[in-house]
Amino acid sequence: MLKFFSIGIIVLWALLALTGSLLPLHPNEIELNKILAPPEPGAWLGYDDLGRPVLDRLIMGAQTSFLVALWVVSLSLVVGTMVGTFSAYTGGWVDHFIVRIIDILLAFPGILLAIALAGILGPGIDNVIIALSVVGWVGFARLSRAQVLSLKHREHVQAAVALGVGRFKIIRVHLIPLITAPLIVESTFAVAGVIISEAGLSYLGLGVQPPEASWGSMIRDGTRYMLVAPHMVIAPGLVLMMIVLSVNLMGDRARDWLDVRSR
Amino acid sequence: MKSVWVFLVLALLLGCTQKTEHSGFRFGLASAPITLDPRFATDATSTRMNRLLYQRLVEFDVDMQPIPGIATWQRLTDQHYRFFLNRNALFHNQQTLTMADVKATYESVLDPKIGSPHRASLSMITSMTIMDEKTLDFHLHHKDLMFPGRLLLGILPKEQLLNEHVFNRQPIGSGSFQFKAWPESGKLLLERRRDGALFEFLKVKDPTVRVLKMMRRELDMIQNDLQPELVAYLLEKEKLQVSTIGGTRFSYLGFNIEDPVVGQEKVRKAIAYALDRETIIKYVFGGAATLANAILKPDHWAGASNIPGYIYDPAAARRFLQDAGYSSTNRPSVEYKTSSDPFRIRLATIVQQQLAEVGIDVILKTYDWGTFYGDIKAGRFQMFSLSWVGIKNPDIFRYAFHSASIPPAGANRGRFDDQQADQFIDLADQASTQKEQAEYYARLQYYLWQHLPYIPLWYEDNVFISQPDIKGYTLAQDGNYDGLEQVYRLN
Repeated sequence: MLKFFSIGIIVLWALLALTGSLLPLHPNEIELNKILAPPEPGAWLGYDDLGRPVLDRLIMGAQTSFLVALWVVSLSLVVGTMVGTFSAYTGGWVDHFIVRIIDILLAFPGILLAIALAGILGPGIDNVIIALSVVGWVGFARLSRAQVLSLKHREHVQAAVALGVGRFKIIRVHLIPLITAPLIVESTFAVAGVIISEAGLSYLGLGVQPPEASWGSMIRDGTRYMLVAPHMVIAPGLVLMMIVLSVNLMGDRARDWLDVRSR
Repeated sequence: MKSVWVFLVLALLLGCTQKTEHSGFRFGLASAPITLDPRFATDATSTRMNRLLYQRLVEFDVDMQPIPGIATWQRLTDQHYRFFLNRNALFHNQQTLTMADVKATYESVLDPKIGSPHRASLSMITSMTIMDEKTLDFHLHHKDLMFPGRLLLGILPKEQLLNEHVFNRQPIGSGSFQFKAWPESGKLLLERRRDGALFEFLKVKDPTVRVLKMMRRELDMIQNDLQPELVAYLLEKEKLQVSTIGGTRFSYLGFNIEDPVVGQEKVRKAIAYALDRETIIKYVFGGAATLANAILKPDHWAGASNIPGYIYDPAAARRFLQDAGYSSTNRPSVEYKTSSDPFRIRLATIVQQQLAEVGIDVILKTYDWGTFYGDIKAGRFQMFSLSWVGIKNPDIFRYAFHSASIPPAGANRGRFDDQQADQFIDLADQASTQKEQAEYYARLQYYLWQHLPYIPLWYEDNVFISQPDIKGYTLAQDGNYDGLEQVYRLN
């Protein structure tokens, strides 16, 4: 039951994100005479502090979080895997140097670094993607390095080395396919983290800029009206929680499914 | 042993739920004062607190005309003013306030080593001569009809000034309130001198929390910085008292005149006609603001009552855009900077949509206050919104629009360089009567309205909310807290 729930929520999120722009929505249409108005047909979650339909903005917020999650996780996955694999396979001072960088970045609070970067680069969704990617690749690098360290002494890798196969071909053909499963699991958890981080940065005003919608900025706007219009906080807060919960549940299931020992 | 634990747990729980009883008054502030030394105070909260702690030579009446504070004055010549102390004031340490203290205060401000931000506004003083304990002469470089209105600094005791007393944290004034304690930045304790009543000023940044504290009676009074929806909610849910008065806080849209897009007068006029300010005031301010056509309100002695204002007219806006060479396929794009204050972002988002409707694309950029203000001072903007708070003297026009006031010399942040405007400002300064001065300022304001280095938006009202048993508070136009001198609690 829980499985279908989480998959259903994620599919709905992805669908709304991908088709949101095609739907007849008016997320940025300000109607001052409808400020904080209750739900009505066409605006089933009422209106916000500028008279914009909350439901329409939630859907466009889904698009923002989906795009940010997709970009950040993709960039982090590619960069992190390349760095981690290369580091582990090369070894020596190169590995030591990269490990030190990873350690430093891991020791620094990720969201704080992202806030600092977003602050330096300036507000905007593109800068949020850059800031979160700069922080996000480290987890993938550490995981892929650890995996490659245990794999590179396996017989098939040694055989490839003995046959004179090039370093990059060994990484591409003999190592990467074997570390895909843990990377997939890591990606799902990273998606959840990125959604929360994007909401956090938007809450602080460093994410998408007005009038574009983001769940974080919706929560920020809503907190000022919690007493008079609690729907402005509850709706984006609930949606955010459900998406993150579903992604985490799916990550757990993916881990169980990909781990052959637990089957 | 078990009963001791039960007692402790109960005591803890009761401690968590019981409301704190207090005998004094608690006033909620959105921001804490930065300094209690009037020589350095520039922010609104510090200035208002300092009014309670110190007395000034000169005050302003409702028409913003200077009137005697603790001193009356005579203009002996254009460059020579004589001030007479009109009351026997005592500092909080029981020393008598004399003209020696006044002289020492102004000398301190004029001392470049002190670095007072008020020094520039008093730079016309060449010397001060004490005639007797209650008489002081000011000699000026040049004629300045507005000179008495510049003597608004709280008077500090000479002895402590010479001893470099830390007035910032341990203020000694002669005002109706006396400093008691400032244990933390967000909690200031003052005592009213006439009856010893204690006043606690508490910083509660978040408006929702301020409202909740009013509902729980943890605060007795709050003033301003509250959305109209929350004011309405408080009035509906609780039997609180609310009073409102028209304010002098002037909000405006500023432009970089050197910019190729908004530097064009036609584009600025298009923006002025595209804004539906009346609707914004009605729905976003809940009516608690007044349309503005100039920095000074029309009832100010130097105000202009003949400015018609820009009425919302999208067709006129499109016409001006077309005249400026823009069309639906060639829309102007303007970057609009504002602070990250949620209310300012809310207003900026409305402006963005209203301009988009006539064909102007606005890119909103929100920054924390420090970054935003730094950019504005450095001229890194196309369009921005800000407010002038507590403007009383018309010398604001020299400061904000004269070509000699381009930062860092002044606050002409939009780099407005206009000979005619400069001439009006210079003529007003050289005028021999206040009436003549008022005429030049009226003409200047009309000229500024025509050429729009600023688009005037509105004057925000002051709103005061108090518990039902709090009486006697009078709201001031400039939002000061002087009403606390008369406030009392019904038994």
